Amino acid sequence: MQYTLLITGSPYQSKACHSALRFVKAAVAAHPNSIKGVFFYEDAVLLANALSQPPRDEYNLTQAWQELAVSNNFPLYVCIAASVRRGILSESESQRYEQSQHSLAEHFQLEGLGTLVDLINTTDKIIQFK
Amino acid sequence: MKNTLIHLNSSPYTGLACKEGLDLALVLATFEQAVDLCVSGPALALLTLNQQPDALHGKNLHKLLEGLEFYDIDNVYIERSETEHPGAKNAELAQNTWSGVTALNTQQWQRLFSQYQQVFRF
Repeated sequence: MQYTLLITGSPYQSKACHSALRFVKAAVAAHPNSIKGVFFYEDAVLLANALSQPPRDEYNLTQAWQELAVSNNFPLYVCIAASVRRGILSESESQRYEQSQHSLAEHFQLEGLGTLVDLINTTDKIIQFK
Repeated sequence: MKNTLIHLNSSPYTGLACKEGLDLALVLATFEQAVDLCVSGPALALLTLNQQPDALHGKNLHKLLEGLEFYDIDNVYIERSETEHPGAKNAELAQNTWSGVTALNTQQWQRLFSQYQQVFRF
């Protein structure tokens, strides 16, 4: 069984991103290829901010997601519309909006909701973390 | 093709959840996916007639409702007891609600959520 995760809860106002991380760790431990992809929407896109710096004695959630995705080879998609309005811009979006900086963290990709629809139709189960 | 229920339960004026839930519904419909909506709690404010939010309040999401049929989103459900029972929290809505909704009794409302392969909540 392959899962897609839709994460909508803010990394700062909820434990959605934390719970989803624990779910993915358990899933890949049991079945290595069980995660098809993870799609961040609503305030969950804030996780993909490369400029956020958690205090050194706290858990670095963005980094934990990056490491987990790279080591298990699944994509981290971030809704482009939700991201851009919240200041998460890739290099190309930054150029498009004539900004001098970009802020999308490595290993995250900006994608439209159409990518989520595609994931929904090609995955056995989709689970929302809110 | 999977059928999807988008459950809106956040006020259209306290955050973006309601808007982003509707956005997802419209994108699903654009990709010809079967999608229905259900509205409860603070999101019921979305259905109130004669809303005139200004730019600071946010987008007038109520206006989107009339366009749903063009996306083939034909079903917008509410639970009747939330608006029509005497003393119901949203009682004033009953007289002042967008006419495109289908009001379900409590049993139908509870059954609704198991009729879809996926339910997303906003």
